[in-house]
Amino acid sequence: MTGPAGAGGPALAPRNELVDSSGRLRRRLLFDRAIGWALPLAFVAVLFPLFDMLYWISTRALPTFTWATLTENQVGTGGGLYPMILGTLVLIALGTALSTGIGLVAGFYTSEYAPAPVARVARIAGNLLAGVPAIVLGYFGYFLLVLYTHWGFTALAGGITLGIFMTPYVYRTADVALSNVPPSQREAALAMGSRRDQYLVRIAFPIALPTILTGIFFAMALGLGEAAPILFTAGFSSTPITSLMQPTGFLSGAVWLFYDFPSTYGSFLGLAFQAAFLSVVIVLALNVAVQLFSDRYRERLRGLYQ
Amino acid sequence: MSATLGDVPPPDASVLTVEHLSVRAPTKTILSDISIEFPDKDVTGIIGPSGCGKTTLIRTLNRMIDTSPGLVVEGRVRYRGQDIYDRAVNPVLVRQRIGMVFQRPTVFPLSVFENVAFGLRLQRAEESTVEEVVRRSLVRAGLWNEIGNDLDQPALELSGGQQQRLCIARALAIEPRVLLFDEPTSSLDPIAAQKVEELFAELARDFAVIIVTHNLTQAARVASRTAFLYQGRLVEFAPTEELFERPRERLTQEYITGRFG
Repeated sequence: MTGPAGAGGPALAPRNELVDSSGRLRRRLLFDRAIGWALPLAFVAVLFPLFDMLYWISTRALPTFTWATLTENQVGTGGGLYPMILGTLVLIALGTALSTGIGLVAGFYTSEYAPAPVARVARIAGNLLAGVPAIVLGYFGYFLLVLYTHWGFTALAGGITLGIFMTPYVYRTADVALSNVPPSQREAALAMGSRRDQYLVRIAFPIALPTILTGIFFAMALGLGEAAPILFTAGFSSTPITSLMQPTGFLSGAVWLFYDFPSTYGSFLGLAFQAAFLSVVIVLALNVAVQLFSDRYRERLRGLYQ
Repeated sequence: MSATLGDVPPPDASVLTVEHLSVRAPTKTILSDISIEFPDKDVTGIIGPSGCGKTTLIRTLNRMIDTSPGLVVEGRVRYRGQDIYDRAVNPVLVRQRIGMVFQRPTVFPLSVFENVAFGLRLQRAEESTVEEVVRRSLVRAGLWNEIGNDLDQPALELSGGQQQRLCIARALAIEPRVLLFDEPTSSLDPIAAQKVEELFAELARDFAVIIVTHNLTQAARVASRTAFLYQGRLVEFAPTEELFERPRERLTQEYITGRFG
């Protein structure tokens, strides 16, 4: 049982040292190559529904889409979506203002001031609130802001409900973004004789801003898509609002309400698709704007996390 | 184990005095009964092996220790006679008088100018003052010749050594009476480290400089007095030459000859 290297000669490598005799290595390489194909396929599988949906909505919305869609009121089963566009903008503005205000203050508090157990409870509460189904929030808003206040259906009630819906998303990103600021920045600021609020405003907030903006954008996009909680609180209306204390139409509500009519109401379906199309366009525009800003802004932070 | 001041009288009155200082964590004592008088307008070095408590000690001197939860500080640290742990004392004001530079450069993601101006902005200084102080601080930190022509560039784009000197300029801008350095050159390459080291003597003309370092030769080069800490205790505090050449304590002797640490 001597090795392949005969006695006396130079020691040769054992025959199997460099030979994949069991085929295991070959199988691994094959698997590796298969993964290389599977990943792009998964990527396409994710993107396909998105583009299919865009195509589906555009082809049904665009043929009848005119300037009047944006500027005219809905009349009967036709006309435009101006009241819903206006309503959506007002509702989102209210919701964003409310959720940004509460979410930022809460994020400042739990990332900097709160004792650890309090912060933990607040974070759990934030996650819970994010997990509450939107329709339950709608009920909550309906009982509290429509019935209890005797306001009836109002844009204000809708905006507040939307704000409550959006708040946990803003809060969570603000909390995480502020907590992830390198601790050395905090040390350095405090060692300069900075108060904690000065550190938060002048150092931590600017560093966290791109992430916080992404969170706010995400909350807005989710809010834009919600119909149920707003129908419960803002009601619906086909005329443009002139006051926050009136019911208002909104795009996602139009999608929901106009879609389910029999085909004899043909132009109603067209309005539903146009409303869906506009919602997508607004989300897309917001996304691009936030992305552009964040990219530019992050340039300034390069080198901070090394 | 007493903290003697040695035979040489300090160059100036003590600006910072530590009296029977102990720092305890929940399960262990980090510093035990430290007493030191830090002379004004001079460089004091603090040496000792890793974990001896030298960083904790320097962090008690401007109450940065407050930011580490769960530590109990006993004893007194007097800044010009006033105990900085007194209830009435505001740590924010302590840190405006007693500045600190850290191991790694900690520039803010702002322009060079705004980094140096940071402390002045906090104190709402006038714009004309700010510009003058920024310029003067950069000169004193030896940066003016290198980057004085482009103060708007992002500070994060400077080299590591320049960033560290920018941190020094930033600390100088609020005109501290004491400046603490926590291993200020250990993250820098030798040339950048040397440039920082050359500043210490210059800075000590105007105020007290206290440097924590695990680099013994650095302490020997820059400090006129050196304290040796071991396991949370002050073993010896003496003029640097004396400490390195004729240490009184056997522990000091063993440490500086490299037998442990």
